[in-house]
Amino acid sequence: MSEILSKDALRKLAAEWLTQGKVVAGPVEEKPGLVLYGQLASPESLCLEGFIHPANSAKEFVFPRHERLCSYRLEGNRVELADGGAEIPAQILLGVRPCDAAALPILDHVFNWDYQDEAYNRRRQATTVVTLACAAYDDSCFCTSVGLGPQAERGSDVMLFDLGGEYEVRCLTDKGRALFAGKTQTSEKTAPAVTGPEVKFQPEHIRQFVNEQFTSPFWQDETLACLGCGACAYNCPTCHCFDIVDEGNTRHGERVRNWDSCQFVQFTVHASGHNPRPDQGARQRQRVLHKFSIYPQKFNEILCTGCGNCTRNCPEGQGLLTLLTGIERAL
Amino acid sequence: MSETSTFEPKIIAYVCNWCTYLGADLAGTTRLEYPANVRIVRLPCTGRIDFNLLVKAFEIGADAVLVSGCHPGDCHYTAGNYHARRRWILFRELLDTVGFDLRRIHFTWISAAEGRKWQQEVTRITEETRQLGPYRDLYHKNGSKRPGLPVAPPKPVPSAKPSMQAQEQQLRESCRKLLADGTVKVVIGYGAEGPVFIRRAEDVDKLVWNANCLSNLTAYLKRKEIKRLGKAAVVVKGCDERALVILEKEYQVDRPNQRVIGMACDGMDEPKCATCEVHTPRFADEVIGESAAQSASPSANALDALMQLSPAERMSWWAEQFERCVKCYACRQVCPLCYCERCIADKNRPVAIDTSATPEGNFAWHITRAFHLAGRCIGCGECARACPEGIPLNLLNMTLAKAAEKHFGYRAGMDPKVEPLIGTYALTDKEDFIR
Repeated sequence: MSEILSKDALRKLAAEWLTQGKVVAGPVEEKPGLVLYGQLASPESLCLEGFIHPANSAKEFVFPRHERLCSYRLEGNRVELADGGAEIPAQILLGVRPCDAAALPILDHVFNWDYQDEAYNRRRQATTVVTLACAAYDDSCFCTSVGLGPQAERGSDVMLFDLGGEYEVRCLTDKGRALFAGKTQTSEKTAPAVTGPEVKFQPEHIRQFVNEQFTSPFWQDETLACLGCGACAYNCPTCHCFDIVDEGNTRHGERVRNWDSCQFVQFTVHASGHNPRPDQGARQRQRVLHKFSIYPQKFNEILCTGCGNCTRNCPEGQGLLTLLTGIERAL
Repeated sequence: MSETSTFEPKIIAYVCNWCTYLGADLAGTTRLEYPANVRIVRLPCTGRIDFNLLVKAFEIGADAVLVSGCHPGDCHYTAGNYHARRRWILFRELLDTVGFDLRRIHFTWISAAEGRKWQQEVTRITEETRQLGPYRDLYHKNGSKRPGLPVAPPKPVPSAKPSMQAQEQQLRESCRKLLADGTVKVVIGYGAEGPVFIRRAEDVDKLVWNANCLSNLTAYLKRKEIKRLGKAAVVVKGCDERALVILEKEYQVDRPNQRVIGMACDGMDEPKCATCEVHTPRFADEVIGESAAQSASPSANALDALMQLSPAERMSWWAEQFERCVKCYACRQVCPLCYCERCIADKNRPVAIDTSATPEGNFAWHITRAFHLAGRCIGCGECARACPEGIPLNLLNMTLAKAAEKHFGYRAGMDPKVEPLIGTYALTDKEDFIR
């Protein structure tokens, strides 16, 4: 026995959420061949089929690329300070991939470790995650190598499974049940288990290699093709580095936080001019180290969900997987 | 209308210290009255006026901008105004494509003796701007999503043509020799999964030549990680090779020490290939294969479609495009000609371009990126190909390339004997837009 919802009914439900003033975000076809997670203007723009993974990640909705932390205004001798946070409306991430959903509980650790990050938590608490299980994968996908899979439930409030004309709905949390209560019908149909991509590496091997082979020429040799942009990190569901900057003038301005990437030269450069990560090899090594050693050591989680966005977005066809399979081969 | 009667235009004037500023001063000392709507920013020379300042003026609320300097021949620094004039010619076209209202951007030559001209120009600009009303279109999305511009049909899955296989073999043989006899230390070429850097003769079979060989590999020549590998041979297509012409002209490659392997190319089924004129590299040390491709005549393209829209619609269209920008700088990193060790976007003392991915930050970045490539961009289109969010950035560069050809008969990277477009000037540069 299962709960099902027709595909039309899901769109109607999305329309209902929109009229309730909720933010609904999901995959949208921006132009032919380009699907991105975006805020839905209407349920028609929701695109749930015909692609493997949107080019960006759903982290944008809990950790936006640009966020105001506070603002100031100077008038005469008076300084007015205002909080950055506007009211966050309830938001529903609809039709996200399991690899995007799984990233959220992973990110929760770092935003609530020594400091409770209010800006993040407010958005996170306002968010309900309705995940659509994967029915297909491509060469870039490697969720199974990091302990997830095409039907992984981690981080989701509701799981949807495509049954053809309808979705099987599995509510996993109270938040999820609240959204779908009374909307579904019972049915005999259930989604079959599907297999994900083959396992391409062992995270433990990566952890060992990056710790033991820190000075290996491997890092230099295998990262020559990297041109040092942030396309991998900015479209990664788990990369979360940011930079806090003040923008404004002598009369008014804001303190904002913007995404940053360890692949930029600027990221670690000291005021003296010295850069402890002097080349792209060191910067790529850092990315692997953070994801497969530092984060697991601290939070007992791999900072990667195997979505493959780094590879799909790399202008030169590289990505984490290239390095990770390279490590597996080098062992 | 009540609004026009109460509307007082704000006009920012960037003026040269030696001529226009003194002209304005003269207007004051001779008690010539002119509208108080103009705010003067005095700068050493029009040649030193950063084009970003024009954009910035609108961001902080200007309704019109005036840039004014010495008459040609009168520059305190000999030629600053000539350099400025050439840049304005190109920059106006870029602003037009982005959707700025050119009726609000004014250029004049006003000498220290022309107090009356200053009075007249400021009065005219104020009145004209008053008629136009407040500038509200800046970075404004008009809401109704426009249908997309014409885009190329999806690419068919490329299959290696027989001649490409023969070329591939020849390429491998050639590189084997170069590496074996020590002519070069590394070959920068295409591999099955992206660029490869072959350092041993026995590895040359990793080199491929097929319709996926899209990257412009000359972008790697700027990388210090590649430089330290020693003398390199780089595999180029005819289009890529144009970058080398510019890089050499700008002292970025030491051509005698740079081995270039040219691949004759029939096109990679990319939109840019339809109008390609250099199917066969012209300056390579060796050219592999022969191209049978004919250059097609330029067909209607996305830029033409964009220019059919009104300026406000164009700005709205770009605002929608730039809204997707996350500032990953893939456009900059893949560009063979973006080689600055420290990009202006990375300068933070003071910040020149907001790092925020906001409309202001994104417009400023994309306008700057495009204009820094004015007269330099070779049209390889790597910026647009690299953009993860699918922003057709090459349209900005195409605008400038078109303007360079229209106004100066200049085409970047075609003729190594021609001096760079920016950095030189001609007494005959047109100035029909300068009053």
